[in-house]
Parts: sequence; C-alpha cells; structure tokens
Amino acid sequence: MKVLNKSKLIEALNVLSSQQEVFVPIQRESQSGYFSWADYQPERDELMLEALNVYQSPKNVVLPQTERMYGIISQGMEVDIDQTFEDAHPTLIFGARGCDVKGILAMDEVFLTRGFVDSFYQARRANNTIVANACYAPGPNCFCTAMEVDPVEPVGADVIIHDCGDYYAWEARTGKGEAVTAQLDGLLEDKEVKLPSAQPFQLQVDYQGVAEKLKDMFDHSLWDQMAEPCINCGMCTYVCPSCYCFDIQVKMFGEKGYRFRAWDSCMFEEYTREAGGGNPRGASKERFRQRFLHKLEFFQERYGTPLCTGCGRCIIVCPTDVNIARIIKAVKEAEVE
Amino acid sequence: MNEAKKGMAIEQPLIPTVVEVIDIVDRTPDVKSFFVRNTDGSGLPFQVQPGQCGMISHLPVGEAMISCTWQEEQEYLEFAVKRVGLLTDELHRIEIGQKVGVRGPYGNGFPVEACKGKDMVFIAGGIGLAPLRSFIKHCFKHRQDYGKITIIYGSRSSADLCFKEELFDLWPREQDTQVFVTIDNPEPDWDGHVGFVPAYLEELAPSPEGAVAVVCGPPIMIKFVLQSLEKMGYADDQVITTLEMRMKCGIGKCGRCNIGSEFICLDGPVYYLEQLRQLPAEW
Amino acid sequence: MKEITEQIQTIAARLFEEGKIDIFIAWEQGELDFQTKAYVARSKEDAKNLVFNEYAIYNTANMLLKFRDGHERIGIAVKGCDSRGIVRLLEDLQIKRERLYIVGIPCPGLKDPLAAARNYGGFNRQTEPDSLAGKCLECIQPNPVICDEIIGPEQSPRQQGDRFARVKEMEQMTPDERYDFWEKTLSTCIRCYACRQVCVACDCRTCIFDEMKPQWVGRESSTTDNMMYHLVKHAHMAGRCIECGECERVCPVNIPLMLLNQKLIKDVGAFYGGPEAGLQYVEGAKPPLSVYRIDDPDSFL
Repeated sequence: MKVLNKSKLIEALNVLSSQQEVFVPIQRESQSGYFSWADYQPERDELMLEALNVYQSPKNVVLPQTERMYGIISQGMEVDIDQTFEDAHPTLIFGARGCDVKGILAMDEVFLTRGFVDSFYQARRANNTIVANACYAPGPNCFCTAMEVDPVEPVGADVIIHDCGDYYAWEARTGKGEAVTAQLDGLLEDKEVKLPSAQPFQLQVDYQGVAEKLKDMFDHSLWDQMAEPCINCGMCTYVCPSCYCFDIQVKMFGEKGYRFRAWDSCMFEEYTREAGGGNPRGASKERFRQRFLHKLEFFQERYGTPLCTGCGRCIIVCPTDVNIARIIKAVKEAEVE
Repeated sequence: MNEAKKGMAIEQPLIPTVVEVIDIVDRTPDVKSFFVRNTDGSGLPFQVQPGQCGMISHLPVGEAMISCTWQEEQEYLEFAVKRVGLLTDELHRIEIGQKVGVRGPYGNGFPVEACKGKDMVFIAGGIGLAPLRSFIKHCFKHRQDYGKITIIYGSRSSADLCFKEELFDLWPREQDTQVFVTIDNPEPDWDGHVGFVPAYLEELAPSPEGAVAVVCGPPIMIKFVLQSLEKMGYADDQVITTLEMRMKCGIGKCGRCNIGSEFICLDGPVYYLEQLRQLPAEW
Repeated sequence: MKEITEQIQTIAARLFEEGKIDIFIAWEQGELDFQTKAYVARSKEDAKNLVFNEYAIYNTANMLLKFRDGHERIGIAVKGCDSRGIVRLLEDLQIKRERLYIVGIPCPGLKDPLAAARNYGGFNRQTEPDSLAGKCLECIQPNPVICDEIIGPEQSPRQQGDRFARVKEMEQMTPDERYDFWEKTLSTCIRCYACRQVCVACDCRTCIFDEMKPQWVGRESSTTDNMMYHLVKHAHMAGRCIECGECERVCPVNIPLMLLNQKLIKDVGAFYGGPEAGLQYVEGAKPPLSVYRIDDPDSFL
C-alpha cells in the first residue's frame, strides 16, 4: 500500500497546494475550521489533522457562506447582467472526516438532482476532490454510523488516508483520487501497513424507524418540551456539515452591483416570513421542529438518507444544550396515539 | 457526483433572462399587470403552462415568485403583481420600457389534461384570481374540452376586484359559463352580491357531480372554502388548490418553501386536496 | 449548592401549592454534570427537576422573553446578573412586576458549560481550564438586585483590579490600530446571531437586522456587513448591557464582545453618571439612552 510519511506531510501539502487550492482543518487563533493551506502561518495556525474534528465543517469549500452569483448594471430603464461568477478553480479538501464527506454528498443530492442542477455548486463540486481522514476513534458525541456513515471507509471520498502513527496509509478510491495521488509522485512510498483497529462508539443512537415514526409526530407534545430552551440562534445550522439552506440577495453600489447568495438558517424568524407579513413558521417551536424534521424525516423521504451525519458539532456548540441524539432517542421512546 | 442523476437542461437556472416590460395595466389600486417579452421582440424567454410561475426580478432590488396569469402565444407573458413588500413596491414604480429579469418556468401547473371533460368550478379571492385566470382562459381557448364553467370570485371591495372587464363582460358571454362576484362589505354603488366567498359558494352550491373545484386566495379564505366544499360533497380528489410560501431560488434548493418533504416551488404550487392531507398541517 | 437546589425546589413547590404561580423558571440537570440548562417547571411535581449547580450559568431572565405575551404568573430563580436582566425587562415594560415572584441566589461564581462541552467533545487540542467562567471572574454584582425571597448568604464581587483595564488598553491604540484589530476580529463572525438571541437586553420584537423593508444590514458575511452588525448591535446596548457576559460566552468564534460592551458602559457612565443598567429598579425610571428630552444637546446634528 502507498503511504505518506508524516515527516513529508508539509511538503505534500505544499505540492498539492501548487496544483489546486487545498483546504485543511486548522485551529486559527479562536477559529477552528477548514482554511486554505496557502494562508497557513505556523506561528498562528495549528494543523488539526490529528484532532477528532474542527468546529466549522468543510462545506464552505463547495458552498461558501457568501457567494457572488452574477454582476448587475442598472442604468434607469436599461439593466444588464454583465458577468457570472461561477467558480471552477480546482479545490481539494484534505483530511475531512466521514461525517463531513457525507454532508457534502447530501448537498450533492440537493444541488445536482431532482429537476434542476445548480450551476454554481456544480462548478465548484466538479472541480473538487476529497481526501478523507479515516476515523478510528469516535468522540463522545459521535454517532455517524447510526446515520449511514462509514467512518473508516467513507463513501464519496476520492482518497482515504489512514493515520497509522508515523505515516498515513494512502488509498486512492476514484479517478480524481488517482490524479491527486499522481501529484504526490516521489513523496508517497510503498509499504506494508497495519491499519489501526476501530474503537467502539461511546454514544449509542438508533435511527432505525425514526423517519417513519416522525410522520405521525408533527403535533406531538415532544416538540414543545424539546424546543423550550432553544433560543433560535443559527449556530447549529452554520456549523452543521449538511445544512445547506441559503438566501439570495442583491448589493448595489450606484449603477453597479451583484446578486449573491448567503447561508440562511431555518432558525431565523425572517427565513419564511412572507412579503405580506404572514409566516407559516413564526413560532420558535415551529422553526425548531422544522430543523429536526428536515434532518430526520423530510430529507429521508425525499432523498432516501438522513440529513444529519452524526458529527456531533451542534451538540457541542449549542448554548442551550439542545441535543439531536437525545431528540432521536426521545422520538424512539415517544408514545404516539 | 452521480452523472446519471443530473437534472433538466437549464444551464444556469438561477440567472435570469433580461426582458422588456412592453405594457403595464392597473388592475386594482394595488395590483398591476406587467407584460414582458424578449428585449429584441423575438418572443418569450420561456413557455408557461397554466398555473406555473416565474421569478420576476427588478435587478437592483430583488426577486419574487409570481404566478404567470397568462401567456399570449409568442406575444407576451403577463404577471399580475400585488404590492405587498419591498420588491413589489419597487416594481409598481417602473414604467413601460423598463428592462427586468425573469427566470422560469417554475412549478407543476394545473392538471389541465386530467380536468378534461369535467365541469369546472373556479373559486378565487383577491389576487388569487391571477393564477386561476390562466386556467380559466385555457378552458375558454379549448372550450369543447371542458363542461360547464362556474367562476366564483370575491374581494374586499369593488375596487379590489381584478380583471373586471373579463369578469363582467367577456367571461359571462362565453358558452355555458356563469360568473358570480361578491365583495366583503356593502357599497353605495354596488348592486351585486355582498358577503364572503365561502358563504356565497355554499349558497350557489355548484354540484360536485362530474366537477372539479379549483381554489386560490388568501389562506383564511382557502381554509373555509375547503370546509365548504367538503360539506357540499366534493371529494378530496375533486378539489385543487395552489399554495404560497416564501421562495428564493424557485428550483427546490434553498430550503425555505417546504411543507414536509415537498418543495412548493418545484413540486407545487398546485395540489389536489388529497395530496395536501398527506402533508404536515403547515399550509 | 445542593442546599440551594433543595431550597429552590421547596420554594417552587410551595408557590405551586399556594397557587401563586403557573410556571417556575430555573435550571435543570442534563445527562452529564455540565449539561445544566434553563428549565420551566409547570407543576409541583416538575419542581423536583429544578437545580442550582456550578454550571447554572444560563441567564434565566432571557427565558422571560418567551412568556412576555402571556398571562402566566411566573416564579423565577435569579443570580445577580440574571436579576439585572429582570430590571432591564421591567424598565422596557416587557413584563409586569406583579407577574413575577423572584427567588434570588447570591452567586458564588460558576463554570461555563460550553467550555466543558468543548473539552468533553474531543475537538479541542488543548483543554480549557476547569475554573470559573471568564464572565464570573469579572462579576461586580453577584447578589440579586431585585427579589422577593433570597437563598443563602451574600457573596462578594469577584472583579479584581481595574475593571476597565482592557478597555483602556484599547483606548491607547491609534485609530488605525483599533480599526485593524476590530476588522480582523469581526471578520471571523459567522453571523449566527447567538449573541443577540442569548441577550436579555435584546428585547426588540422585530430586530433591526431582521427588517427587510428597508434592509439595514446586508446578509453577506463580509467584514463590512459584520462590522455593521456588531457596531449597531452594541450601540443599541449602550446603557442597556447588564454585563451578564452571555454574548461572549456563547460566541462560537470567541469574539471578545464584552470589550465593546464595557467600552460603552464606561462611556455611558462618564457621560451620564447614575447607576449602571439593571443595577437598581425604580418604577418608571429609564436608562440614560432610553429617554428623549427637547433640551438634549444636539450640536452634532
């Protein structure tokens, strides 16, 4: 098997970075997320490949928080769209965990199937390669296997690397993965490897039958109880590797401007507020319920897989201790008339 | 990415086509019709079926999903827009000749084929007549395909009645067609019916036999009309309505217009009542 | 703290029994020690779930916003900072005093459950210290300023040294240095609005940032829009921030939000004097920037 010796990791990232923009998990001062290796400064940044994960998922690589769509020129009666900003520069996500790869696969379903293809997402994604970092030691809030993720051999990865101590075992899985492997010609070595053994999950979550059961739980009292502490901030949706909802807005500077899209959150009151003032999800509980039904029921119904990937981020960051694993458990245990 | 799953061929579905507003007609004090076609006069940016929508954008301001109230062959698309928010407010200020953006067509449209041979009962309130009008005009254009046509329409006041010429002059003259109009409150110069649409509907009691009812209006009207229809013996597969939710993308991606696992912009906005009954009660 | 828990439970049970309240707001224990969160008891039986422990840091006054339109009579347990939040809500006429039965807890200083959750979660490379929360080390008012009943002995303020030292450091910077600092700091904001949602003083029914007609602040997570958001939010907090520190505590990218608030506290104090926001409740009294007088100086206009 091919391996990348850890002593050559920096060099490898530099080589990859010369061919495409490489995003790696980094602790940058108070932030923790996927940042461009080209901006890496050792005195400020810490590479987080050996940590369980980082707080912000790599979804921003294929769906940036803010993304320009097209330019507008507006001169009285005359208006024109003078340019589009589809971004097809090659990118590589290096070291994503299986849960985060699954998040991107879920977004592939949304943006590339069911009627229309989103050209902005497609441009980024078609030129994006994923090097996944096999996960052998799940954390206390991890439950990815319950959400159809294989943490050791994640579907959707172009390359899978396995942390074997002094080196990463390197396994190309797709054509794109082979291409990236070829870029590291000379840095990878052949070696007989012994892969680590996977440790058991600390958190037991059983998602079996939850989507079906939720069909009859729209008006269940569980939602009142679960939503009570929630303050409807958007933190869970923004750190989530699979939350993809967006807003489209415009910014003009005199006659010139552009339309852009930006992450939105179902937690915000304004998200579904109609122009006339009505709001089908005006109450805090209704928005809370929407988020969890989307994750656990609606997405499953539409795309055949849950929209939660079991990464555990929202559980850690929630200021009011809303916990999706507990919600799944509560749904399992709930009595339905 | 699964290449086999790739969708339909609008290459950049989120980027509008710039068209010209060739006419603007005041329908009521707060509803205007905008007629658009390609800037070079060569026809239309896209073809719509009755009940489908278009995303209209006043480019420097914003976009809004508007039901297309009529497509006249290759001449124009007509959108009737009520002034309710930021974008529609700005749209109401534009003049003939303004270039605007449109993208579409979006949504499923009315089941015009499945309704062939049926008696049609159209029930609308306020601006809700705009989407139904495309279906009504379609029925008149293909008059032999449909049975008796009954149109029941109401608004807050006589001034708020949309498409008055059609309501009072053109449509009543069509073959085997009856048009009933009501307003919410009495007015000195109004000698027509006064009262809410659901009550008027029950009074008129169009027979459910061989009929399909198509309903559009404010949510509260829809709610009571559906109750009335049920009382009158209309089965859930004889009632069609169109839903409204806030939309941004129009192509089932941005998330906000869902009811259950349905995206209203893509899978709707037209639903049979029996389909709606399967969805969470958020409509 | 076990004693305080028992007393809260007893008081809440008594109030339910006497028919004096419909709900009681305090904290409940989650699965793990640090998972303590706001809780609403609705019956005498529920009262058994109430706790006060070293992680009961969440500002209970914020929960009152969920009930401001109702008629429930509310029992509520408050720490010093939470009680200042109640004064804020009373001053802003968000809730009526007669709806509240306030149980005060002189606060010994608490730990941050979010820091503990991060330590436990395994994403952190270095564990955060298991000591009092930063905001508690800066506390000037551990004792409730308004209550109907008090549990336990008074506590002393924990704030040591110059309270505005960090602010003064900032004031020493040149405008360019200051701008660079805030530009860099605020560029990391992800606009999740947790700082707003957790803030008891942010009690506007429709926040300016949710207004769409007109839209005052853009949605882009750009330095410009982020700065606009924070400057406007904090300017609104001038004379209103009760220094509970919840905004800074919950921020997922650790923006030092209290630095902005403290600067405003210092300036409002220097310009207008008087007690700081929420430190005392006088019926009908308004904080300095909540009143308008015809003879207000307006030379800047």
